[in-house]
Amino acid sequence: MALATKIIEEFKPEFKSVDIAEVPYEKQGYHLAIEARTGNLLNIIDFLDRRDFYIIDLFCVDYQEYLELVYFFSTHRELCRIKVTLKLDPEKPVAPTISNVYTIARWYEREIHEFFGVYFEGHPNLTYLFLHEEIGHYPLRKKHVAVPDHDKKLLNSFKPHEEENSFFINLGPQHPSTHGVLRVVLKMDGEYLVSAEPVLGYLHRMHEKMAENRSYMQFLPNPARMDYPGALLFNLAYVEAVEKLCGIEVPERAKYIRTITCELNRIASHLLWLGAFPADLGALTPFMYAFDDRENILDILEDVTGSRLTYCYFRFGGLYNDINEETFIDATKRFIERMRERLVMYDKLITGNVIFINRIKNIGILEQGQAKKYGFSGPVIRSTGMPFDMRKVDPYAAYGSIDFEIPTGHIGDNMDRYLVRMKEIEVSLNIIEEGIKRLPSGPFKTEKVPKKLKPPKGDIYNAVESTRGETGVYIVSDESDTPYRMRWRVPSYSNLMTFPHLARGVLIADAIATLGSYDIVVPEIDR
Amino acid sequence: MRVIADIVKGAYSLIVGMGVTIRAFFSPVVTCQYPRETVNISPRFRSHTKLVGDPENPDRTKCIVCGMCERNCPSHSIKKVEGEKKEGEKKKTATSYILDFTTCSQCGMCVESCPVDALEFSDDYNPVGSKREDFHYDLVKEYEKRKKTI
Amino acid sequence: MCDTIINIVNIVGKEVVRTVVGLIGVFIVVLGNAIMLTWTERKVAGHIQRRIGPKEVGPFGLLQSFADSVKLLGKELLTPANVEKPLYYLAPTLIFVPVLVTFVVIPFDGFLQVKDINTGILVILAFSSLTVLSILIGGWGSDNKYSLIGAVRSVAQNIAYEIPLLLSLLPIIFMANSFSLRDIAEAQRGVWFVVYQPIAFLIFFVASVAETNRTPFDLPEAESELVAGFHTEYSGMRFSLFFLAEYTNMFIVSAIAVTFFLGGYQGPVLPGVVWFFIKTYALVFVLLWFRWTFPRVRFDQLLNFSWKILIPVSFLNLLVTGGILKI
Repeated sequence: MALATKIIEEFKPEFKSVDIAEVPYEKQGYHLAIEARTGNLLNIIDFLDRRDFYIIDLFCVDYQEYLELVYFFSTHRELCRIKVTLKLDPEKPVAPTISNVYTIARWYEREIHEFFGVYFEGHPNLTYLFLHEEIGHYPLRKKHVAVPDHDKKLLNSFKPHEEENSFFINLGPQHPSTHGVLRVVLKMDGEYLVSAEPVLGYLHRMHEKMAENRSYMQFLPNPARMDYPGALLFNLAYVEAVEKLCGIEVPERAKYIRTITCELNRIASHLLWLGAFPADLGALTPFMYAFDDRENILDILEDVTGSRLTYCYFRFGGLYNDINEETFIDATKRFIERMRERLVMYDKLITGNVIFINRIKNIGILEQGQAKKYGFSGPVIRSTGMPFDMRKVDPYAAYGSIDFEIPTGHIGDNMDRYLVRMKEIEVSLNIIEEGIKRLPSGPFKTEKVPKKLKPPKGDIYNAVESTRGETGVYIVSDESDTPYRMRWRVPSYSNLMTFPHLARGVLIADAIATLGSYDIVVPEIDR
Repeated sequence: MRVIADIVKGAYSLIVGMGVTIRAFFSPVVTCQYPRETVNISPRFRSHTKLVGDPENPDRTKCIVCGMCERNCPSHSIKKVEGEKKEGEKKKTATSYILDFTTCSQCGMCVESCPVDALEFSDDYNPVGSKREDFHYDLVKEYEKRKKTI
Repeated sequence: MCDTIINIVNIVGKEVVRTVVGLIGVFIVVLGNAIMLTWTERKVAGHIQRRIGPKEVGPFGLLQSFADSVKLLGKELLTPANVEKPLYYLAPTLIFVPVLVTFVVIPFDGFLQVKDINTGILVILAFSSLTVLSILIGGWGSDNKYSLIGAVRSVAQNIAYEIPLLLSLLPIIFMANSFSLRDIAEAQRGVWFVVYQPIAFLIFFVASVAETNRTPFDLPEAESELVAGFHTEYSGMRFSLFFLAEYTNMFIVSAIAVTFFLGGYQGPVLPGVVWFFIKTYALVFVLLWFRWTFPRVRFDQLLNFSWKILIPVSFLNLLVTGGILKI
């Protein structure tokens, strides 16, 4: 990789004492590993920031003798994943904050603080993000570590205090337009928002901890529960990560079927959003039309996978079972034809509607430059005009051999986000068509997969493009049959982080339109 | 002038939208009136699991009480897989197999892990009950009931 | 028997009897209309969304609304802890006053009218402004921020849209030379006023959608923003009074539009009252059709639309009409 060698060349003279190593990308999913120390971490972050690296993920791994903070970076222009690690003393873990460089780190650091008890010096608001008051220990630490009293004071993450000329509104956890149980505390001045602060954790189920207690096989149903509208894509992210970790080969046919079913699932997920977004703006009928179309996909996928929503279809080394060649392909082709007609109808009903256009055009503008600070991805970043798509950047499954375009927007407003998603439905239809044309025959599963997986020691990061953006899974294996640590990088999390920024000073109706245009899925954020 | 053009264009787009809905108004409905009509259940539909009868001896199921499913279940929904060795038979016969359907997520790990293919999904899509215990199925008893109806 | 009735009528006076009988009739129409309209709304919504809508209770689900109202009647009347009790209780009752009064002057037929007041339209406009008062009271008294925002929105919206509403009716009053609704309906014996005044009709219709708080102008109860707007805290029968008032208001604005622009009860072959209801419900259907097609406008857009477009245009329309009539 050209960029990786360039970075090494530039890095070495600047940081003479820091270890930088190249890593086999095919095996571990990242290019470079840097071992930072508390003293020089901020300089390294600054070095990467100057080179337009965005932060993919920030998390912690408890290795018992030390805690390791892991910072993942990459660029939007070219894939070059860099893992920066920082070792901390488990007795008194303190690290410098990077939240003044990368805004999204504010949330990541709060998350690490509540799950591992790591303190970040200089963090503006180191309160709890997900957990509730009753919690008495740090859940992701391998040994029981009690929460000290001064830390417990930080538990109640948001207590609004009223001021003159403004008032607070709790948007959620039960509210028609938060799509699940997201709570946003709005500080209002009349109809205008002064500030918006999301409060997370109402759907927190701790999938990452669950993973540490089950075998690789047993964790298979879980990813689908994180992102229920795009279950297959999360399923794929996990399955591919484990396959790479164990070096399992996947037959071509399985790769194509994975691509086709994933794209079907992507359309289903976009249709769910297409129903919900106009409903946020007050139009209730598109919801039913979109569900009518979505029902067709669910029928097709049910025939293949056996379930309608939380699919668990991919297996290590292939699939659960083969598709029924005739019925599946017939039904899919019929669906593609129907969907193309329906897209014309949606154009007439929604896209062209003058009220709709006026409601979302030039509202909630996200600038391309902010992508680095927030690390948002998926349709949200593509709407700003950046053609960043994991399917192209780092082709997985059969995406490498299928040619497709990446729809992008211009200014990154709500209209662009809407149009990008609508265009993506069309692109997905083309991918499915192409995939069906090329579908090879052969086995759908490799025979050589052991019943009890015990991957070799090491770690891996694997990312796919889910409906909402870059979904990554990071697994540390210690040669046992359960993962030592599993970390999920979820796109809605970083997409939602931009909401407080966009919601400042706008009308409540616009804020809700913006929230709807993100297509957030709360179970995915809370995990 | 531009304002007038915008208004006319806007009004036209509204009329186009109304055209879409009125056409839908006169189109046939797409919903299924559930208790009156039912849809076809897909052959791969996953409901709770059921035990498969032994083709050689319909009195017993294929289950050999190895406990693989119990160990592999992610949610620990399978309990009390017990059996006894009957005289004249090589393998054990299941006498009890409790599936706690309240925690089961129909992932199919048990079906896949079964070495003798003794489990398969049923198509019982609308199980009802008034209390939790109604969903603690004993699959052996369920098989016996099913056997009588065949 | 007949004699006794005539005697009673003679004793209390013809007008009083007419008013009492009329009011009873109005009650029946109001309730019947609301019950029919809830059913119609659900059916129309259903078919527009390609589903059936209510179908289980009675033939075609016709009795669904009765079942619902029985359910609402049977519900406990919840009063949240910190509400301003007098205001909270008053609002649902108050919202019914304008609804009943405006019915008095609507001519369903040449003679089927409770009372023909020679300033009929002024009565309607004056009393329909009361609706917003009760919405404000309800929103204010509920001690809920969503309700309050909804109520405040409602006031601003109604002030903005009452002006074009009135201005679009004035040309008709010029042309008919009367404030009485029956005279106006009679004046359209030959040609309907919508032919002379298409712009006024459009303005009136748009403004009346806003007055009745229907989509695309349903901001006081914008459910995706304000949960349920001004009636968030109301439940049971109190909620259903708001609900009833909304549907009756829909009927009233459509009835006024019919009387002013679409020839009122005039029409061939069928009796006048039938024509009146056909026309009114056709307009009500358009209102429903709007609701299930359009998204909601934003608040500033709503006000801009009224102050910057509807009011200037209706003034212009008024000026032109006045000029033509006088010259």
